[in-house]
Amino acid sequence: MTTTNTLPLTSAAAVQDTPKATAEPRWVKWTLVGTALTFLTLFLILPLMVVLYGAFEAGMQVWWQAVTEPDALAAIRLTLFVLLIVVPLNAVFGVAIAWAIAKFEFRGKTILISIIDMPFAISPVVVGLIFVILLGSQGWFGPWLAEHDLRIIFAVPGIVIVILFGTLPFVARELIPLMQQQGKEEEEASLTLGASGWKTFWYVTLPNIKWGLIYGVVLCNARAMGEFGAVAIVSGRIRGETNTMPLHIEVLYNEYMFTAAFAVSSLLTGLALVTIVVKSWIEWKDERKKTSSTAR
Amino acid sequence: MRTAALKPVIPGFGLTMGFSVLYLSLLLIIPVAGLILFTLQMSWEDFWRAVSHPQVVASYKLSFLASFIGASINAVFGTLVAWVLVRYRFPGKRIIDGLVDLPFALPTAVAGIALVTLYAGTGWVGQYFEPFGIRIAYSQIGVVIALTYIGLPFVVRTVQPVLADFEKELEEASAALGANRLTTIRRVIFPAILPALLTGYALAFARAVGEYGSVIFISGNLPYRTEITPLLIVAKAEQYDYHGAAAIGVVMLGAAFILLLLINGLQWWASRRG
Amino acid sequence: MSIHIEGVNKRFGDFVAVDNVNLDIKTGELTALLGPSGSGKTTLLRIIAGLEHPDSGVIRFNSEDITGQHVSERGVGFVFQHYALFKHMTVFENVAYGLTVKPKKLRPSKAEIAKKVNKLLELVQLDWTADRYPSQLSGGQRQRIALARALAVEPKVLLLDEPFGALDAKVRAELRRWLRRLHDEIHVTSVFVTHDQEEALEVADRIVVMNKGRIEQDGTPEQVYDNPANPFVYEFLGNVNLFHARVKASGETKFTSASDDTAQQADEQDGLAYVRAHEIEVLTSAEPDALPVTLDLITMVGPTARLEVLNQQDGKLVHIELPKEQFKALNLKSGDAAWIKPKYSQVFLGEGI
Repeated sequence: MTTTNTLPLTSAAAVQDTPKATAEPRWVKWTLVGTALTFLTLFLILPLMVVLYGAFEAGMQVWWQAVTEPDALAAIRLTLFVLLIVVPLNAVFGVAIAWAIAKFEFRGKTILISIIDMPFAISPVVVGLIFVILLGSQGWFGPWLAEHDLRIIFAVPGIVIVILFGTLPFVARELIPLMQQQGKEEEEASLTLGASGWKTFWYVTLPNIKWGLIYGVVLCNARAMGEFGAVAIVSGRIRGETNTMPLHIEVLYNEYMFTAAFAVSSLLTGLALVTIVVKSWIEWKDERKKTSSTAR
Repeated sequence: MRTAALKPVIPGFGLTMGFSVLYLSLLLIIPVAGLILFTLQMSWEDFWRAVSHPQVVASYKLSFLASFIGASINAVFGTLVAWVLVRYRFPGKRIIDGLVDLPFALPTAVAGIALVTLYAGTGWVGQYFEPFGIRIAYSQIGVVIALTYIGLPFVVRTVQPVLADFEKELEEASAALGANRLTTIRRVIFPAILPALLTGYALAFARAVGEYGSVIFISGNLPYRTEITPLLIVAKAEQYDYHGAAAIGVVMLGAAFILLLLINGLQWWASRRG
Repeated sequence: MSIHIEGVNKRFGDFVAVDNVNLDIKTGELTALLGPSGSGKTTLLRIIAGLEHPDSGVIRFNSEDITGQHVSERGVGFVFQHYALFKHMTVFENVAYGLTVKPKKLRPSKAEIAKKVNKLLELVQLDWTADRYPSQLSGGQRQRIALARALAVEPKVLLLDEPFGALDAKVRAELRRWLRRLHDEIHVTSVFVTHDQEEALEVADRIVVMNKGRIEQDGTPEQVYDNPANPFVYEFLGNVNLFHARVKASGETKFTSASDDTAQQADEQDGLAYVRAHEIEVLTSAEPDALPVTLDLITMVGPTARLEVLNQQDGKLVHIELPKEQFKALNLKSGDAAWIKPKYSQVFLGEGI
């Protein structure tokens, strides 16, 4: 703690008692910290503890059985399969649209950015409904799809589509501000040195957006794994076939198999924690870089 | 002399823009337009009957009121958390800072079963309220709890950077001009964070109105009492009443668009102030 | 490689950045594009580089029309004001970049690249920084690395956009002398943009003064300084004082004041005389054609005395600079009366700018 010495004649004790002009008294500080921590404990920490406690309460063996039971494994496999399609597609989209928005001037840019935000505002339930209506057997394209023997709703493709919709903004939202802030001078420098567009992207742009891209992908990944409302409508909840991990958790919970539900939940919780660690680490790295470059 | 109608110097505009617009159209714009067109096939009477059924109206009231209360709680405590994280040092701060993002990262279904287990009459927290006759889970309070949880990161994450960038000199100037600490906070700091606070508030509200996964476990889903609007859409879709579901869906979509416009306006305001 | 700019125009929306510019730059010359901000000098430079496309007009390197050629094919070296070094690459990798991105057939071997990069780093006197990252270098060092990187691809022309703009005064002065010597060594046709007249006068073989998208004057530093083509150039190159003057047909000039309403003679024309601050003689007694003034403010800046004096005829402020010793010898102080006499001036007829 530093104290101001604007009053050199007062005793050390008096200086200590006088709060700094731009700080609160000690008791105020600790009351505020205490209130904030209580709030966060009730809403963040305790729910986290409940999941972990519920999962491991009955021992590792029960946990292992719950996550390796055939329906659970099928749900895990399906979830991973969906991720394998959704995350790369949305990552490519995010990079493409961030490039278009950050490196060029065109009309309607702000409208385009707002459109990207739409999935944040639309209820996941409505997203599911939209695709059931368009692609379901009673939907507009239903008869045509049935004719060609294509099943989308109550099948895996429907799950992929709604998760694509729901997680569409994540990579784009990370990259757009980052690339806008970086400007285009380094790319121009690369071009003047004779590099082609692809080489410039690969050697100059990509290394510069690497961390933003990684975080966007990790977040997109976490949200894709956890997508629930939209998937609940389009999956049809066919056990072992169209149940993703969150749907499987719901089934287990509704069948009063709480330990199993928490066991599968603990896997998703682990992923959420990894996401947070990655984010904190990237931020910490940025902060350190910033302070080291301003110190110079 | 000739006119050089040339491509921009940095390549890839056609490719990236073309792909982005195609992707957005196929995945987002056409499907959303499809939902609206679908409801336009309904007669006005059918549409009105579907969206104004007393059970549906009760769900609007719950969804919007609970979202409003949840977002308000977050406005107060979110600002407090942001303040504490920016201004004070205390043990475990970095971990707490990271955990604020948990509602973004943790699947809503997981959050749902965790919250209901915690706040049920036998749960770690619920048991202390049960003797006083206060039921949290399976009541409207439960809905508020879930919607508060889901909106928690928004206010913190919008206010936090503004507070961090706030110039200490302004506070010192205010203090030097004779203002006490409370006056400085009220007249100097609060106006500076207000646009960010309102943006966070609107984001939390928008997210809460459409939330499904974390609510349905804790709400108990009693018709007219603890049924949220998204749940009704799911219920109608499961009974293949697509028109009924779509009508309510369009109402939700309308609310989402209005909120999105509001948020954009607030962000524009915030950036102009910054 | 000579550069020929023919009838080039460029607008950004309603703003005319470059207005029908014609300019030829000779092989091996070091040319400065000098002008205030918004004069179109940077846009013109970016058009030469191919970073900006002209709305109309032609750019030729030697006699070849390269207007439609992409920047990556033009073989220009471009040095950016804020360096634009690749943050994630070491100094060595930065300088080697232009060579490593060449197509396989044209790419030199690793050993050749290393040899060339090290030679360039020696040329810019920074060979010891090869393994560092740009963030570990000072501004002046970064700018030298940016120059080495541009030179690595053996550019036909070297273009520098305000190369010293972001540096502090001392480093600036050092670097521009260094750039001058470097150019004498490598003799590549070079164009640099600056708003600093001193920099242009010191470094360039030739100065092109720009204003509002047009070229105001084009000549050697001496020509531009000693014979400014118009009032804008005069004002832009150094401190000047304006005097009302009457010019006789014979060329004889008489300084007057704005309030002078004595009848104009038939063979006289009104005009504005431009006199630089150091081209005014200060006298302690009246002389024919000398103007009476009152000393107002006296500041000593190192070896120079800067005076602000009030023209007694019209009350206007006149700036004067003279060596400190010379001023001391006059034994004048603030408030004293004195007389001034322009030693050299240029008169532009009409009301000037």
